[in-house]
Amino acid sequence: MALAALLWEMVRLWWSFTNGAVLMVFAAAGGLWLAVFYLSDRKKNRDRWQQAGRDVIVVHCLSPGRFTPNTSPFVMKLLTFLRLARLPHLVDHEEPFGPKGKTPWITLNGEDFTDSHLIIEMLSDQYNIDLTNSLTAEQRAAAKAFTVMIDEHVCWCLRAWRFGEDGGSNLKEGLSLPFYKRLLFPLFVREQRTALWHQGVGRHSHAAVRAMMKEDLLALSKYLGDKPFLMGDTACAVDCSMFAFLANILYNYNRSPYYAVVNEELVNLRQYVERLKSQLWPDWDECLASP
Amino acid sequence: MLEAVVEGWWWWWQNGRVATAAVVLLAFGVISVKRYVAKKNRRRRWAAVGKDVVVVHGLGKGRRTPNLSPFVLTLETYLRLAKIPYQMDYEEPFGPKGQSPWITLNGQEMGDSQLIIQMLGRRFGKDFTASLTKEQKGAARAFNMMVTEHLAWGFRLWRWVENKGRLMLQEMDRVPFIVRLLMPLKRRQIFKSLYFQGIGRHSAEEVHDIIERDLAAISFYLGDKPFLMGSDLCEVDCALFGSLAQIMWNYSGSPYETMVKVKYPNLKEYVLRVKETLWPDWDQCLKRPKMS
Repeated sequence: MALAALLWEMVRLWWSFTNGAVLMVFAAAGGLWLAVFYLSDRKKNRDRWQQAGRDVIVVHCLSPGRFTPNTSPFVMKLLTFLRLARLPHLVDHEEPFGPKGKTPWITLNGEDFTDSHLIIEMLSDQYNIDLTNSLTAEQRAAAKAFTVMIDEHVCWCLRAWRFGEDGGSNLKEGLSLPFYKRLLFPLFVREQRTALWHQGVGRHSHAAVRAMMKEDLLALSKYLGDKPFLMGDTACAVDCSMFAFLANILYNYNRSPYYAVVNEELVNLRQYVERLKSQLWPDWDECLASP
Repeated sequence: MLEAVVEGWWWWWQNGRVATAAVVLLAFGVISVKRYVAKKNRRRRWAAVGKDVVVVHGLGKGRRTPNLSPFVLTLETYLRLAKIPYQMDYEEPFGPKGQSPWITLNGQEMGDSQLIIQMLGRRFGKDFTASLTKEQKGAARAFNMMVTEHLAWGFRLWRWVENKGRLMLQEMDRVPFIVRLLMPLKRRQIFKSLYFQGIGRHSAEEVHDIIERDLAAISFYLGDKPFLMGSDLCEVDCALFGSLAQIMWNYSGSPYETMVKVKYPNLKEYVLRVKETLWPDWDQCLKRPKMS
C-alpha cells in the first residue's frame, strides 16, 4: 500500500512538473512511431505485390464473404472478368481501399488502377482482349447499355435494400467480421445511407425502389430469354457484371424481395447464375471465408 | 459623430427593443400569411384546370430550349407523345419533398420524372413499347437507365462543376441576388452528390471519356433508324431527347456538344427529328418566343 501511495505521489509530482510541452513530445513521438510503422507496412505490402511477377494482377479488396467469394459485387465482377479473360491474378486484403477511396483496385507491374469498369477497359486494351468481336455494333451497344444499367442503377437499388431497408443485417451475416469491425459497422451503414440520399435512390420510398428494381430484373430476363449468355453463345464483360449482381442477390440477399424474383419468378436468371458459376467458379467453395 | 451613434443605440436599447421585436414579428406574420394565401390560391388554380389535366411544376423556360432542366423537358416530351393535356407552372418548381419536376393531377402530387411517366402510362393506358419484341423491351429499359443514371450525372458534372453553373445562370431571367449568393452552396451540394455517386471521383477528362463511350453506344444502337427502338417513338426517346437537347443548345463550349454535333452526327439528326415530330411549336415555347 505504502509503495502504491509513493508511486502515486511520484506520478502526481511528475504530472505537476511536466507541462503540455512534454506531453506533446510524447504524443508526437507516439504519432511518429505509428506513422513509421504504417509507412513501413505499406512499403512491405508494395514489395510483396511487386514480387507477384510481371503481368500478374494484384486485386485489392475486402476479405472473402461466407456465402460468396466477396460481398461486394464490383469485386465479384472484376474477379469473374479476370477468370473469363484467363488473366493471372492474385487477391490481397491488406489495403482494400485504393486511390479515390474505391474498392476494388489493382496493382499491375507497379502501377495502380481503380474503378472496376476502367480496370476492365484498361486490361482489355492492354492485352488485346475483345470478348465482343463476334457481335454486331448494335449488340455491342446494347451490351454497354446493360452494363451501365447494372453498375449504375441495379447497384444502387440493391444498396437501398441492403443498407436502407435491411440496415445491413443480411450483409453482416454474409461477412466474417472481427469483433472491432463489428463495432464500427453501424457507422459504415450510416455512411452508405448518406451516399444513397445524395445519389437519389435513397430519397424514394422502399416500394418505389422495389418496383424500379423489378423492372430492371425483368429487362435482364427478357433480353436474356433462353440464350446461354446475355449477348448470345459466348460470355463477355456484361455477363461479369450481371453474374456478380445476380449471384449477390441469390446468396447475400435471401431476406429481400428480390431473392424470390430471381430464384422463382425469373427462372432463366437463376439458371444463368448457376451456369456461369459452374463454368467460371468451379472452386467457389474454396474461395469462401470459413464460417 | 460616434457619440451620437452610441447615444442613439443606447436610446434604442432602453426604449425601442420591445417595439422592434413587435415590428419584426408582425412583418414575419404578414409575410407568412401572404405566402400561405398565395399557396392556397395556386392550388385552387391548379385544381381548376380540369379533370385529367396534368400541371407540371418546374424551373423556368430557357432561351434556346423550352426548359433548362433535362427532366422537365423529358416529362413535357412524354406528355406530348402520349397526347396527355398539360399545363406548365413555374411558380413553385420544388415539390413537397423537394423534387423538381413534380406534378399535380386531379389534386394528387407526385415527384420524379421517371416515376411520373410510369404512373401516367398506367393511368392513361399508354405503352409505347407494346409492339416491341421482348429483347427490344429489355434494351429500351437499359438505354433509359443509361440516360437517367449515367449520362445525367456526367452532364450535371459539366454544368455545375466544370462550367460552374455560368451558362445556366445566363439562361435564367431575373436571377434574384440571393440565388447568385447561394450558388456556391448549391454547387457544393452537387459536388458532394457527384462524389457519393462515384462519377465525381474521376478527373474531368476521365468523365468525358466515360460519357463518350455511352454516347457512342447510343449512336451505334440508333444507327440509321429514325428513333432509338425503330420507326416509332417510345418512352426512352423522351428521356434521350430531354438530355441530348440540352447538350445541343445549352452546353455551348462543352466537349459533349462536339460529340453530339460532330463526332456522332446521327445523334444530332435524331434530336432534330424528335423536335420536328413532338415540338413543332418549339420556337413559341422559348422564353423570348420567336414569332414565325
